[in-house]
Amino acid sequence: MTQAFWTVIGAFNYLVLFYFIVLHVVYLATSFFAFGALRRYALRLKSLDLTDLVTSAWAPPITLIAPAFNEEANCVESVRSLLTLEYPEYGILVVNDGSTDGTIERLTAAFDLHEAHRLPTSDIATEPVRRVLHSRRHPNLWVIDKDNGGKADALNAGLNHCHTPLFCALDADSLIEPEALIRIVRPFLEDADAIAAGGVLRIANGCVVSRGRVVEVKMPRNFLAQLQVLEYLRAFLSGRMGWDALGATLVISGAFGLFKREVVVDAGGYSTDTVGEDMELVVRLHRHCREKGIPYRIHFVPDPVAWTECPESVSVLSRQRDRWQRGLFQSLMRHRKMLFNPAYGRVGLVAYPFFFFLEMLGPVIELLGYFSFTLTILAGRAEWPLVIAFLCVAIVLGGALSLSAVALEELSFRRYPRISDLLRLFSLALLENFGYRQLSVWWRLKGTVSAVRGVKGWGAMTRKGFTVDEEEVAAGVES
Amino acid sequence: MAEGLTVAQTAFVVLSVIIVALFAVTMAFSTYTIVLRIRNERRDRLWRDLTERWEAPVLDAIMDPEAVPSVWPQVPDRYRLHFVQFVLEYTRRVRGEERRTLARLAEPYLDGIAERVDDRRAEIRTRAVQTLGTLGLPKYADQVIAGLDDPSPLVSMVAARSLARRDHPEFAPVVMKHLARFDGWNPRFLASMLAAMGPEASQTFRQSLADPATPAWLRAVEAEALRMQLDPASGDIAVEALGNATNRELVASLLRLIAAVGRPEHVSLIRGICTDEDPVIRAHALHALGELGTDADLPLLLDAMSDPSPWVALHAARGVREAGGSKVLVELARSDGVPARLAGQVLHEGAHS
Repeated sequence: MTQAFWTVIGAFNYLVLFYFIVLHVVYLATSFFAFGALRRYALRLKSLDLTDLVTSAWAPPITLIAPAFNEEANCVESVRSLLTLEYPEYGILVVNDGSTDGTIERLTAAFDLHEAHRLPTSDIATEPVRRVLHSRRHPNLWVIDKDNGGKADALNAGLNHCHTPLFCALDADSLIEPEALIRIVRPFLEDADAIAAGGVLRIANGCVVSRGRVVEVKMPRNFLAQLQVLEYLRAFLSGRMGWDALGATLVISGAFGLFKREVVVDAGGYSTDTVGEDMELVVRLHRHCREKGIPYRIHFVPDPVAWTECPESVSVLSRQRDRWQRGLFQSLMRHRKMLFNPAYGRVGLVAYPFFFFLEMLGPVIELLGYFSFTLTILAGRAEWPLVIAFLCVAIVLGGALSLSAVALEELSFRRYPRISDLLRLFSLALLENFGYRQLSVWWRLKGTVSAVRGVKGWGAMTRKGFTVDEEEVAAGVES
Repeated sequence: MAEGLTVAQTAFVVLSVIIVALFAVTMAFSTYTIVLRIRNERRDRLWRDLTERWEAPVLDAIMDPEAVPSVWPQVPDRYRLHFVQFVLEYTRRVRGEERRTLARLAEPYLDGIAERVDDRRAEIRTRAVQTLGTLGLPKYADQVIAGLDDPSPLVSMVAARSLARRDHPEFAPVVMKHLARFDGWNPRFLASMLAAMGPEASQTFRQSLADPATPAWLRAVEAEALRMQLDPASGDIAVEALGNATNRELVASLLRLIAAVGRPEHVSLIRGICTDEDPVIRAHALHALGELGTDADLPLLLDAMSDPSPWVALHAARGVREAGGSKVLVELARSDGVPARLAGQVLHEGAHS
């Protein structure tokens, strides 16, 4: 019996090893795809004058939908950032999702809002809309004040009130770069089948913000935030760029994505019974279009940037990661019909299985692996050279992946100009393997367990607010 | 598994090989990043130096075209392509005579760019075609026109956009001949490209629009281009085309064109379409009716404000406003129900437009 137990544990250890290597080989492969794609994209950017392309030609009108729940700290700054975007024709719909703080009061005071009519053009079910407000100062700014129903419900309310062919889903606390809309709309000009495009999210912690714009990019001082800078680079420049190169984009960040309104409405809008409404929508759009025989393409564009504030405390970060994992779990379980299903093309055969087995079930396997490895060591049954070799592989693999993301950043957009920032990113690529990576796995495992248990809700997210330019504060520019 | 090795030993060997390989990859990424940083900083420095060297003389030349030859000696051979890129950046900010001066400044160096239209990388070809299309027409027209047949859709699109210019109407036929290549592009984007060719190209669009043998998607694009040009002669053609059009996009584009350039005598045809079973067609017909109709059309438009499709209802309400029914809308807004709120909405829009 004991011998059989240790045989099973030994076999499991090898399974974990195999999982680990496959996972990272896929990550590395997407990084390599991303290298080729980003190189071409950087050249392409040089060969096209995007501003000229969009502004001198027809640019489809866009509605920005920004759900806001208790965003008192950042909402004015964020809306101000949205008002300064460089795009020929766009409107802003801030959806106040039953905030209990001073969000609506701050918006009303800052932008001189008054009640107005704006009837819905679709009938996706949402919590009741109390009133619609319109800015006297900015004719393209509207605020929908509704009962609380969650982010997806707020997005659906915005979608119902959207009058343009394209809408851009945002977080009310993110700062969109002035040229971001011009850049993200490009796939919709070049490709009549484009139904969605995602942009890049970057960490604003530590950056200097003035008049709703990030004017100086700096690494955050907080160590957790620094680690997240590296994580975001890896996720967007390596991961999403690589999947896009394969034509299998499965995730568009809820903080910045552009969609064809008609297709999203036909697909039923955002799902309100998942906390991962952004991923669920993209998966559902794949499914909807494939099943209805609608020609479509979902793109990732690496240069339109939205800046967001990331958590700086372990407790808030753990809640965020728990929620992300629950969202992933709910989305993938709901559409498991797509798994290995050739009817869904590359998404069903490649992207979906990767996310299902390696991203969704990964934390379970990895944590059980830590447990069985520890057990093997404590029982004195470990082959020490093997254990050390495995640890080395883990560290070097993690480092290689993160360094590939740093290299991609340097190859393409170079947002961190200081040499000290570059060195800091190098060191983080090594440091994150000791503690942070394991913590992340733990949070994701908790998220998986919460999803299985049917836990709902987002968990509180406290925000500090952006680092506003000191001169601006002194000048009293704040509305 | 190798003979004589246990599973653990084999795994160790495999892992050791992986470690060495990954370490090499890690080192490669680090070195690459550092080399990139050094190269990028050197490039930035070079651009700063070149900008400092060229900015004043180029601005002088823009102000006084006689000064153009005095700029050329300041362009060392090794920086000829840099200079073209520098000039190209300025071209985006100016028009007319100033743009022609910039083209003269770049002229001696464009042969180097023309060589690049045969590069194996599509992005380099695109850049070359765009540069020649901006600074080298008509001298390098052959190279730009050849770009229309390039296997890369990006190159052909940039070539088409470079040739679709008001100041060079002679290129309109060749662009039109290649339009079928762009059927995957956004139709309105294509239409704006055609509209940029100016009124001299309108006749070509009209003829093609009137021809039922032209593909429906292309006719829809042409109708849209004529609408953007506000071409008054295309109203009758649109009405005639509407008689035999069945494609939804084409019908919608024709209705938009009629709304923009139609005449009161076209209203009778539009009235009949306002009850079409397709809500998209109904919405566009009601919009056209609002633009061209009179008081007599208000009952039909008011009735359509209760249409089950919110889009149709919205277009009908806007139509009432455009047809001179603002007073009726004010009355309606005082009552209750969806049409009342719709009336309030379009009055509000009218006040803020």
